[in-house]
Amino acid sequence: MEKSDVRSLYLLAAFLVCAYSLPFLIGIQFGTVRADEQWFAYLATVVFAGILQGGVYAMFAVGLTLIFGVMRIINAAHGEMVMMGAYLTWVAFFYLGVDPLLALVFTLPIAFLLGVALQKVLLNAVVGQPELTALLVTFGLGLTMIYVAELIFTTDFRTIPYAPQTVQVTRTIAVGQNKLISFVMAVSISAAVYLFLKFSRLGKAIRATALNAEVAMVCGINVQRIYLVTTGIAVALAVAGGALVSIQFGFNPETGVVYTLQAFAIVILGGRGHYVGALIGGLMLAVLENLVSLMIPNGTAAVELAAYGLMIFVLLIRPGGLMGVKEA
Amino acid sequence: MATHEHVRNVLLLAALAVVLAVLPPALSVYLKSFVMFTMMYVVLALSWNIISGFTGYTSFGHVAFYGIGAYTCAVLVADHGWHWISTLVVAAALAVVVAVAIGYPVLRLKGPYFAIAMLGTAEGTRVVVTVWDSLTHGGLGISFPSVENSLETYYAMLVVMLMTILVAYIVGHSRFGIRLNAIREDEGAAEVLGINATAYKLAAFALSAMFPAVAGGIQAYKVLYIDPPSVFFVQITIAMALMSMLGGKGTVIGPVVGAVLLYSAQELTWVNFPTAHLIAYGLFIIVIARFMPRGLIGFAIDRGWVRKGMVH
Amino acid sequence: MGPVTAADIALDIRDLRKAFGGVRAVDGCTLAFPRGKISGLIGPNGSGKTTTFNLLTGVAMPDSGQIFYKGEDLAGMKPYQVFRRGITRTFQVTRVFREMTVLENMLCVTALNVSERVARARAYELIDFVSLTRLRGEYAGRLSYGQQKLLEFARALMTDPEVILLDEPAAGVNRTLLQDLLAHIHGLQERGKTIVIVEHDMNVIMNHCARIFVMDYGVKIAEGPPAEIQKDERVIEAYFGRRRG
Repeated sequence: MEKSDVRSLYLLAAFLVCAYSLPFLIGIQFGTVRADEQWFAYLATVVFAGILQGGVYAMFAVGLTLIFGVMRIINAAHGEMVMMGAYLTWVAFFYLGVDPLLALVFTLPIAFLLGVALQKVLLNAVVGQPELTALLVTFGLGLTMIYVAELIFTTDFRTIPYAPQTVQVTRTIAVGQNKLISFVMAVSISAAVYLFLKFSRLGKAIRATALNAEVAMVCGINVQRIYLVTTGIAVALAVAGGALVSIQFGFNPETGVVYTLQAFAIVILGGRGHYVGALIGGLMLAVLENLVSLMIPNGTAAVELAAYGLMIFVLLIRPGGLMGVKEA
Repeated sequence: MATHEHVRNVLLLAALAVVLAVLPPALSVYLKSFVMFTMMYVVLALSWNIISGFTGYTSFGHVAFYGIGAYTCAVLVADHGWHWISTLVVAAALAVVVAVAIGYPVLRLKGPYFAIAMLGTAEGTRVVVTVWDSLTHGGLGISFPSVENSLETYYAMLVVMLMTILVAYIVGHSRFGIRLNAIREDEGAAEVLGINATAYKLAAFALSAMFPAVAGGIQAYKVLYIDPPSVFFVQITIAMALMSMLGGKGTVIGPVVGAVLLYSAQELTWVNFPTAHLIAYGLFIIVIARFMPRGLIGFAIDRGWVRKGMVH
Repeated sequence: MGPVTAADIALDIRDLRKAFGGVRAVDGCTLAFPRGKISGLIGPNGSGKTTTFNLLTGVAMPDSGQIFYKGEDLAGMKPYQVFRRGITRTFQVTRVFREMTVLENMLCVTALNVSERVARARAYELIDFVSLTRLRGEYAGRLSYGQQKLLEFARALMTDPEVILLDEPAAGVNRTLLQDLLAHIHGLQERGKTIVIVEHDMNVIMNHCARIFVMDYGVKIAEGPPAEIQKDERVIEAYFGRRRG
């Protein structure tokens, strides 16, 4: 490791310590921090809920990092794909009466095919072009998706009432059943994708393409097909993320932007194209967000700042993120 | 460019100024406001173009400066009783200060990372304005004392537009502008050739932040009510980018043409299809980024109607 | 040619070091390029020549060492600061500003205190000098590779620099164009400029350089006039004895 590399890692660590203590300091300022037993129970609950939520974040962020790793495309429409997943689940639940988790059985294949189509129609043309072209194209795609969704579903907030009971995890910690279920699903799906990438032939080919597309091509890997599969998986992950988000939080067409920025923040924190980094980044962001919402009065607006702040500072301090991707 | 061409262009601009100045009595209330908003989008697109077209740093968050301008005007007029024209100067100054403060770190990021960081900056600014309710009244928004102001705001916007065009023209045809282009083309090579990229980028960013803030202030006074979602509306950034890209970013005439065309098209369609024009925006960005990255002006250049480059 | 004295040295590089990760690209290199002469900097692939150029021009930050020029240490300066002291360079793979015209490529490289009229006159003169007159209004990206090399060369001369570093000027340039380019380089040398050439084409190096510096593994292994270098055991070993990719 180079000297500057080590230094930036320390800086990042220092920044993260500050970022996590900031909500506490503000909380002390506003008197929301009380060092009594009840407050500590809240704190424990919030951190635990953050970890559960982080699993879901990590899962959809993996989709973003996968596309970036393989094709060097920054998908600015990723959050809109999450939003699409939420609406698919909502439609299945309210109009077809299908259980949100059962709905994944057919929404995921649909998402995969949509991803393949997207790759064929739009993204293949921008692979290898300047990163900004791909960013603009996907940004335009995201906008189109938002407004199409508004046309169909209006801007009203939707929620899916699903498993709302709370579960007593320990004596002090109680969380919603839906959160636990989401976490378990997210971890299972992430693990499945991880195992697929690690051990299957196709997964190995995807990783090889991410390392070096030209070499992969010379080794007889059909890179075009890898691109299709990658985008398919990425969109499926986003849609799965949407399904799991939809049973916990309200959503409308415009919430996609928030998911995009969260996914960016996670990917940048973890290190672009880095799978394990995305998992760590997801947990870290979600815990921070929950701390902010606990400590800061009027916290819902401020929660969004967590993702932006994290993203911008990490970009400035250590653009490669925790896992140190080498790039300017 | 030969001197007589500059003279011709300045005369053309003066003619435009005269036409737009004598027009209002002939215009209906609706048309007056239509022309005013067209001029506003010319200001926004041309300003965006200075940092993103000339310098190549695509800003996805320029609405931040517009919003800052709108709020400066609203707070000072509604809560402190200032005359609205004087608030525009404060708006411009504040935008420059914010641009330098944000730009110094963020302009170190390249290409897409700058774009994303700016997207975050705009959202962050909106959140701060929403949360800081002792100053901004938070999500409630701010109302102005109701007055008839369509003529004042029309002329104010006209003056700001002429200033913006003039500044963009001077920047575009000067060595300052060419150096910005060099940074866009290859920042490393530009530095090796003696260009202090950091300073140039900051200057371009500050310039491109100033006019949108003034336009935001005028617009706020014109519509008499603002709240965070309406002045920190992502779509305004998109409009700036799309108008520049459509006309041809990195030129002076391109963003002007793009703004006039796109705003007119939007006015014609939105009455009947309120969401359709927004969908069209999204599709438009895809098509332009993908198929005509140099915009309409690139088309004209390829056919030999316009000469290549800014300096001849 | 006798030994070089301090007064004759344009660029005095002392114990320069730069590592990338674990690779020591430049590892305690000491070089003294003579003033007003054409010097050649050669060595096998990966021996640290281009990194040395990058360190000289502020493109990369040295880990340690000094670069003296007119009594001032350039190490750690920003590229534009080095440039403003009169040192300019070209790149191994041309880096013209592709979507700017030939004239604009030239005009963006003017000193701050020069008026537009003077800058223009200088640009026209240099464009003529490298025979690109007809292409003045064309985008640089549409020029042939050889023409881009000429443009880059002309662009580097806009501010009348004292020291000119040329990174593989002959690569990808056809014979006729190369002869022109070399004639231009000699013209500059006759006007008292210091020129350093990194080049793989040994004909260019041996026939046109007054003094040759040989690098290997990030250090200087030999120095002298062409005739000496051609016979030098260490140089032959570096090139042929344990050649690497």
